Parts: sequence; C-alpha cells; structure tokens
Amino acid sequence: MEDLSSLIVIVLIFLAFFLSFSIGGNDETPAPLAATGTLKFNTVLIIGGLGLTIGTIFLSEEVASTVGAKFLGPTVDYTIYMLLSVLISAIIWLIVGSFSGIPLSSTHSLFGSIFGVVITYLLVNPGLDPAGAFNLSKLSSLVIGWFVSPLVGFFLTVILYKIIAIVFLNKLKGLNQIENLETIFSLALLIAVFGVSVYTGANSGEAIGIIYALFDGNYINFGGYWFGKVLLGLFAFLGLFIAGRYVIKNLATQTTDARPSDGFIIQLVVFIVLFVVTPMGIPISHSHVIVFCIIGLNAGKRQEVDYKGLGKMALFWVLTFPIAAIAGGLIYFGFYTNGLI
Amino acid sequence: MKEREINNIHKLSIDDLTNEFMDNINEQNIMLIEGIEHLIEEDFENFNKNLNIVIETRTEVEIKKTFEAKLFKSKKAAFTKADRLKLFAKINDLKNIGEFMANKMLLYKVVFPDDQFKTRIRSIIKSLKDISNKISEAVKSIGPDLEHAHKICEEVKEERRKMRKKEWDLLNRLWNYDMDYLSRTFLYLKEFIEDIMMMADHIKNFAEYIQFLTTKYLIFK
Repeated sequence: MEDLSSLIVIVLIFLAFFLSFSIGGNDETPAPLAATGTLKFNTVLIIGGLGLTIGTIFLSEEVASTVGAKFLGPTVDYTIYMLLSVLISAIIWLIVGSFSGIPLSSTHSLFGSIFGVVITYLLVNPGLDPAGAFNLSKLSSLVIGWFVSPLVGFFLTVILYKIIAIVFLNKLKGLNQIENLETIFSLALLIAVFGVSVYTGANSGEAIGIIYALFDGNYINFGGYWFGKVLLGLFAFLGLFIAGRYVIKNLATQTTDARPSDGFIIQLVVFIVLFVVTPMGIPISHSHVIVFCIIGLNAGKRQEVDYKGLGKMALFWVLTFPIAAIAGGLIYFGFYTNGLI
Repeated sequence: MKEREINNIHKLSIDDLTNEFMDNINEQNIMLIEGIEHLIEEDFENFNKNLNIVIETRTEVEIKKTFEAKLFKSKKAAFTKADRLKLFAKINDLKNIGEFMANKMLLYKVVFPDDQFKTRIRSIIKSLKDISNKISEAVKSIGPDLEHAHKICEEVKEERRKMRKKEWDLLNRLWNYDMDYLSRTFLYLKEFIEDIMMMADHIKNFAEYIQFLTTKYLIFK
C-alpha cells in the first residue's frame, strides 16, 4: 500500500509538471507584443516564458498556500487521492476548454474540483463536521475576487483609456505623430507584458498548489518542494515556448491592426489587478480579466461589443465551477468505491 | 515633369516615396488636362507633345519598385503595410487611367462642334484639375494632419458631384447635335466625356478611401 502511495505521489508530481506545461501552453499574454512586430517572435516567447518562470519560482508562495492548504478548514486535510481526483478533473476541464475554443478558467475549474472532492469526502466520512471543511474567510475572499477582478478590469480600462486619450491620443493630428507615439507605447507594452507574465506565473496556483499540498502533507520535504517549484517554472517556460507559440502566433496574426497603446492599456490593467490579488493569496482567472478589459476598451472607444459571444462565454464561466465540482467528486467517489481509499 | 536621380529615389523613406509618387502622378494629370486645353484650341502640336509626356513612364516605375521593396522590409507600424500598399495602388491607378485616356485621345484629332461645347469642356476639366490637385494635397496631409485630409476629401466629393451635372449637360448637348449617323467625332467626344468622368470617379473613390483611413486612425476623435 505504501508503494502505491509513493507511486501516486510520483504521478501527482508528473501531473503537476504537465499542468504547468499546459499553463505555459495556454498563456496568451505575449500575443500583443508579438502583434506589434517590435521584437522577433522567439524573443517575445523568451520574454513571456522568463516572466512565467520567475513568477512561478519566486512569487507564487501565497497563491500556492491557498490552493495547497489554506482553502481547506480544520476538519479536512488533503490526501493523495483527493489531490489526484482534483488534478484529473482540472486537466479534463482544461482540455475541454482548449477544444471548445473558449477561454475557460483553469483556476475556477481547480477550485470547483477541490470543492467537489471535499464534499464527497465529507459524504463518505459522515462523522466529520461539514462546517469546518472549508476556510470560509478564504472561500469568501476567493469568490469575491473572482467576481470583482473582471469588473475592476473593466472600469479601470475605461478610466485608463479616457486618461490616455485626453493626455495623448486626442492631441494627435496626423499619422506621423500617431506612429511616433505608438513606437513609445510598444516599449511600454514590452515592460507591461513582462510584468503580467511574472504575475501570471505567480497567480497560476494550480500546479504549484499541488506541490505545496504534498509538502504540507509531508509527502515531500522542503528541498523537494523548492526543487519542484524550479522544475514547474521551467515546464511553464517550455510550455509557452513549445506549445504556446501556436496560440500566440494565432492571436497575434488576428490582431495585426491592434495598436500598441491598446495592448498597453489592457496589459497594464491586468498587471495592476494581478499585482494586488497575488500577495493576498487570491488566485483569479486572468483570462476573465483580459476579456473584461477588452470590453472596457471597446466601451471607452464607444465601439460595438459582441454580446452574443460574451453570453456564450459567461455561460461557460458559470458552469465551470459546478461541472468541475461534479467531475472531481465523481472521480474521488470512483476511487472510494473501488476500495483504493 | 519632376525628374529625380535613381540614387536619390532609393534614399527616400516610404512616406517620401508615396508623396513623390503622388506629385509625379498629379503633374501627369495636369499635363493631360493642359493637353485637352490645347485640343480645344486646336493646337494639335502641343496636344501631341503633352499627351506623349503623359504616356511616357520614367521615374514612376522606379519609385514603385523602391516603395514595394522598402515596404516589405520595413517593421510593422501604426499605419499598416496593407493600408500603405493600397494607398499607393490607388495613386498608381490614377496613372493608369491617365495613360489610357492619353492613348485613346491620340487616336484621332477631333474638332469641337461649337464654342458652347468648348466652354463646357473647359469647365469640366477645370474641375478635374481642381480635384486632382486636392487629392494630391489630401495624400500629403495624411502624415501631418488627418483631419485636414478628411476635409479636403469632402471638397473633392462635392466638386465631383458638380462635375456629374456638367457631364449630363455635355452629353445632352452632344446627343442633340445634328449628326444623323454614328460619326467619329460623336464617338470620340462621347467617350472623351465618359473618360474624364472615369478619372473623376476614381479620384472620388480615392477620396473616400482616404476618409476611411482618417476614420480608422483617428478613432478617438
């Protein structure tokens, strides 16, 4: 039985590496930088990848502890089967998201999976106190963070756009001036994209949270935890460089007409949001924030918004948590009924 | 017509090449319009001279080649390569229409039916000269002042509307001359008027394209 546990710990670590690779592979942060054509494409990927790696290794502690320990209350501690159920469920939902072409939140699916697994755990262990299953203050701050962060992104983008329009854009007369200003914004965009990449790595707690949970549950020691962090950072880099290039190239090609100033406004707002929530240990969906920033930019410019597409996206966002919870719960129940737990 | 050394052309920036090309083509249009004035005055020698200059292609091809080579090598900028290329193509179309008109007009030495007809032709080519100069100014205003370019294009469109009325007056007059068979003069003059309007229509479309660009790039106004 102990051999099986060790094997599952190894499987969990490998799944965490796979998850980290797919986080990098799905990260579209450097796309606006690639679209400007200021730097060579591989240089853009290296900048984005480096940001992710630095964030994952050095700034992800708070978010990792939320995922790996603080989210749960005193009644429940992670077991390796719980973690395995969570990871399988989260990965399945991530794959569904990739095929559907909708920017689904891996963060929401992860916490949905944890929620479902813990509820199932309580159901199969009737003696436990349900009130202590979750850290309610952490849970409430998470839910508030998920709802507030996109709205903050929206309003902050509108405000920032208005300010930039008044200070710079409204004063432009001809294309010569526009070109000169956009060249400056290209450089500012480079810095903003790097900052967002760093905090995307820091805020993506899915993989690092699993390693943290293993460390918190004494399945691995402190050295192993740090070694795992470094490897996760490298896998995120490789994910972006190998798999993410297609997503980024695709997005960059579709947005060749996008202005560096637009990209800068969106990236700066995303950076501000991530910069605030990450030290608080609140993992959020940065793709949700980006989508609301884009809507905010269109609203600021008084341009049309695709409400039909937005409605479809909103439906998937609402469904992510319950579906992931059911999937996670069923997987854990499957382990339980097969006598593995 | 303005002549530049080939080496100088290679030193010009993409914007300068566009402006240089526009200048050349506008000068060609003016040469064509002056040629028509010589035709009205039945000064066939100068008419031939002017129109042969219009047909002659000198620095234009070199400017076009240099522009395309520089554009494809250039870094992406706010004013997209696709928009620059289309703008350049629209200028080039002006040249093609001018050449087509010149070749066609040289086929036959027409004598205008009466002074009334001559006066009306003078009026329509004066408008053509006006919108040709204005479109050239609009192209050169894209860099320094998009709103100014937009305003000039509005004037071009307005002038072209007036030209349409002049065209119907001329055609009406032409169809009612006492020519009971399909004469060469009739055919020549009918197509001559239509070709002038073809050039005017292209300039109007060009003006609309410039207005599209100003709307696209001045989104925050």
